[in-house]
Amino acid sequence: MEYGFQYLALIGSANYDRAILPLHAPVSLIGENNKGKTSLINALQFMLIIDQRRMNFGAHSLERSKQFYFPANTSYILLEALLPQTGVVVLGCVGKGVSHDYEYFAYTGALDLEDFRLPNGAVVPQPRLVEHLAARGHSVFRYTPGEFRDLVYGSGRRRRAGEPEFGVFRLEHASDAKAYQQVLTRTLRLDRLTSDEVKSYLLEIFRRDLPDADIDFKREWDKAFAEVHADRAQYQAALKQRADIEQMARMHDERLMLRGKVTAWRPAIDAALEEWESHYTRERQQLIERGEQIEKAQAQLLEDDRARVGRRSELEAERKRLDAEQEEQAALERRFALIDDRRMLETAVAEAGKVLERHLARLAQAEGYALADLERERADYQTRLQKLEQRLQNLDDNLERRLQQTLPPEVGAKLAMLLCEDALAAGPARFELDSAALGRWLQDMPPPRLRLPGLDLDVSALTPRPPPQTAEALHRERARQRRRLRELDEQIEIARGHEAALRQKQALEQARRDAEQALEDYDRLLALRAGSSQRAARQAEIGQELAQIQEALDGARSQSDRLRQEAARNDRARNELDAAHERIGRLREARADRDPVFEYLPELPARPWLEPLAITPERLADALQTYQEDCRRLLELNRRLEEHLTLLHAGGLSKFQYAESPEEEIRHIIAFSQQLDKEAEALEKKARSAVVTVTAGLRELRDGLGSFQSRLREFNKLIGLRKLSDLDTFRIEAVAQTRLVEAIDVLINTAERVDSGDSFSLFDQASVLDDAAVDRARRILIEEGEARQGLKVSDLFRLEFVIGRKGERPENFADLDSAASNGTVLMAKLITGLAMLYQMQNKNHRIRAVAYLDEALALDRANQRSLIAVAEKFGFSLIFASPAPLDTVRYCVPIQRVGGRNHISSQGWQELEPLQVEQGAAS
Amino acid sequence: MPHEPIQIKHPEPLAELFRLLVSGRHLNRAADAALWVALERNQADYGALFEALGFALHVDGRGFAFFDSEEGSAQLTQNSRKLALLFLVLFDTQADAGQALGRFEDWLIDRELLEHACEQHQEILQAEGMDADGLAEVLGIAVRYGFARSEGGGWRLLPAVCRYLDHFEALAAECRAEQGEDDDFEAEDDPRGGANEEE
Ligand SMILES: Nc1ncnc2c1ncn2[C@@H]1O[C@H](COP(=O)(O)OP(=O)(O)OP(=O)(O)O)[C@@H](O)[C@H]1O
Ligand SMILES: [Mg+2]
Repeated sequence: MEYGFQYLALIGSANYDRAILPLHAPVSLIGENNKGKTSLINALQFMLIIDQRRMNFGAHSLERSKQFYFPANTSYILLEALLPQTGVVVLGCVGKGVSHDYEYFAYTGALDLEDFRLPNGAVVPQPRLVEHLAARGHSVFRYTPGEFRDLVYGSGRRRRAGEPEFGVFRLEHASDAKAYQQVLTRTLRLDRLTSDEVKSYLLEIFRRDLPDADIDFKREWDKAFAEVHADRAQYQAALKQRADIEQMARMHDERLMLRGKVTAWRPAIDAALEEWESHYTRERQQLIERGEQIEKAQAQLLEDDRARVGRRSELEAERKRLDAEQEEQAALERRFALIDDRRMLETAVAEAGKVLERHLARLAQAEGYALADLERERADYQTRLQKLEQRLQNLDDNLERRLQQTLPPEVGAKLAMLLCEDALAAGPARFELDSAALGRWLQDMPPPRLRLPGLDLDVSALTPRPPPQTAEALHRERARQRRRLRELDEQIEIARGHEAALRQKQALEQARRDAEQALEDYDRLLALRAGSSQRAARQAEIGQELAQIQEALDGARSQSDRLRQEAARNDRARNELDAAHERIGRLREARADRDPVFEYLPELPARPWLEPLAITPERLADALQTYQEDCRRLLELNRRLEEHLTLLHAGGLSKFQYAESPEEEIRHIIAFSQQLDKEAEALEKKARSAVVTVTAGLRELRDGLGSFQSRLREFNKLIGLRKLSDLDTFRIEAVAQTRLVEAIDVLINTAERVDSGDSFSLFDQASVLDDAAVDRARRILIEEGEARQGLKVSDLFRLEFVIGRKGERPENFADLDSAASNGTVLMAKLITGLAMLYQMQNKNHRIRAVAYLDEALALDRANQRSLIAVAEKFGFSLIFASPAPLDTVRYCVPIQRVGGRNHISSQGWQELEPLQVEQGAAS
Repeated sequence: MPHEPIQIKHPEPLAELFRLLVSGRHLNRAADAALWVALERNQADYGALFEALGFALHVDGRGFAFFDSEEGSAQLTQNSRKLALLFLVLFDTQADAGQALGRFEDWLIDRELLEHACEQHQEILQAEGMDADGLAEVLGIAVRYGFARSEGGGWRLLPAVCRYLDHFEALAAECRAEQGEDDDFEAEDDPRGGANEEE
């Protein structure tokens, strides 16, 4: 006895008055088109699919279908099944009449359509069903669709008291219920199975063997590498900013030193400042006093000098006078060297007086003629005499005579008026006369005019020339003049003797004066001689005193220099003191250590200041200055270190940001930057272990693919049991998505490589992080993962149908529909679908169900037989629907029509010979 | 079969996808992961819609999709011819270099490779007036049609090139059949790189 579906019955449903169909053996349901074959089989949906959302009535809507199947509360769909635990049971669905709703029920016992008939022959209405069946010995259990579904698929529902086990299907895994129902739905219409559905069902079925969760690769990668990337970013940030960090380290060091220094100096500075004021006043007073002393000394010195210079010029004048006397004496000594008696000189004076008196007497006689007048007169006479001589010589032939002789008298006279006497008296040697030419020229001039070139002279007023003197008159004249000359010569002789006498008088007077002077000079000499020794003594005195004065002056100069220098020194000292005071005041005003930072400075880390510190008042200003600068530098370092830190943060180095204090952070950063090599090594180790971590999930995917493929191989064995048409090969393959799978393999291999340790030494390989292949693989996985919102095993492969006709090379097809003829494709779908259902069922709880094939004539007889055999093997009996009967089945069931209503009764069934199931089975 | 209105659940990638495909471009899983996934998940709907618009969507499980147009424009035919020449030359060159043709996605096609290919196929290329620059230009066309993408100073072929490879292999098989050779085609790597276990 085989467990499973036995009969399907319809009462008052789907246009059937009454119908009963065997389900335990292959059936050929016969009816013309549109008669109701499909509707009959579809009734099973209410029994097996239950969930209205999953039902499918082709072109008919659910509403119409409910109306079609449950027009009244006397509409029934009934299913008899033989169950292993409970034996024969009836599962049913009855209309409620209202809004074509229905309810489920079940009871134990065989299906007897008479159980649903009232004594009057009418069908039992739903409200009376329970009572009615109870009366016939069946206790009925009623169910809502939800309860009924749980019941049919045996999904761990708690049974009610006395409720038998009505579970029909038992699945290997309860979680398959959904897939099972889906495929089962399709088994009612396996011809409609699409390639995509095959794929998704297969996935559904084998899902259990695949890792459950999606792998969000990006998340996993990011998670695994988060720390690595963070560390690497820190490492690179530190590496990039190494120079900055070094500078920071120097500043940090300087700050430690300065803190120690400032802390040590501060009290010393305070003490020195307190002492400063009194030091300043004291010191300043001293300097002022000293300055006044110096000024006084300088004034005194100046006065002394002035007195000395006055005295010196006095002495010098005196000495000059003495020198002159000395010289005068020497000169007189030389002059009077031969005179040794004054009386000689007195005699000479008297003598000179006597000579002079005698001469004066002689001179008185010679007075009377003036020598100069006489000499002038004589010279005059001399000249006149010479002219007279000349006239006498030319008396017979001269110009006047020639003119008288050669020219008419009036013309000659006119001309003679114009010429001077000397010219008229000139001898022939001194002129040449062309009297004709002269006469003509003169003739032409109208009288009384005389014309010369440029001169027109009226001569009428001129006195005519007297007639020339005679030779006799001339001779007389000459004698007279010669006489007069002789007189004059005598007078001149006398006048000349008087002059010489006058001159001699003067010389004598001079001689007397000279003698008197010599006497006087001699007296002078005598006087000089008398003072000579006294003078010499005085001169010696003067020399001495002058030397003393000079010495004193020289001494005063160097003392004045000294005083000047000292005054300058003193001034300088005062200026310096004031400057220092002013500076200290200023510095004290603006003490750089007022910043609160300095209050807790001693508590901060510092390097102790070991150098000695002694602050004398003199050094205070400088010390204060240095101290202030140190303080300021300290503040600046604080600021700059902070800035540096901000820069480093901006540059990405944030690793130590959460240190206790910025100072701590700086120390960490410095230490970190000094260990970058080690850090790189650690980083690489981490990166490698991250690769290993990240591949764990990938490995799961990869293994999932492997196990899916091996499950598929088993599945292929199932569907390969029977030969389909002329196909040598028919199988389904999971073709790996090479790109993805290879990417996964790259990562897995890398992980294995880096995990195996020694062979992959740290320094002979580039970082995993820089591995191009790894990066490419990562990119592919992230890209795909993001597009798919997580990677699943199903993303790693695609299903392809491999079909090979007898004697031909198998080919891969993505889509079954295009792979072969309609009939063959139909076969392939049916077998695949049945195999899937079989796969899902519990191997220890086999329940034969039904599969339905519309348009069965599309299959040839061989295929029909194969199909029946395969279905049998998988636990299904087939219902072929066709207008004409098939002879490959066990029962032929025709649909009869009585009065427009369909009818199938068991009497109408034709049972054929049992099938040779082994026929045509695959090798 | 009665017409049901086609309802598209994800219209946004659809528009982009349509734009891409209608331009004659191939969609590649390797290059447009997001669009590819959208297509993969809505293949039936999209296919129906495109069909209603008069385009036959062809999706190849190896990771590419395109509109299968019977009669291409003259431009397309022209380009197709150039592309065929390019791929032929490339495949031939790589086969000579001992490369598995099915792994064309791994090749970095750089200038050097193009020049090498030119040397090896001088005759045929000269007949077409083509040189290394010309090939580079055709690679530009290949990029436009989704057969390749630029990468790191060169190009990488995309899965859509399978269309040409399939064609070349079919031709090669035909040739061998004609010459009556017992083909050793099986020895070559399966381009689909799958789990091809025989049972
Ligand atoms: N779910 C339904 N709701 C309403 N009417 C239905 C439903 N199913 C079938 N019908 C009606 O029942 C009648 C029979 O149809 P059915 O599909 O069962 O015929 P068939 O015998 O399978 O015909 P064919 O050989 O053409 O497949 C038709 O008039 C159809 O409209
Ligand atoms: Mg039908």
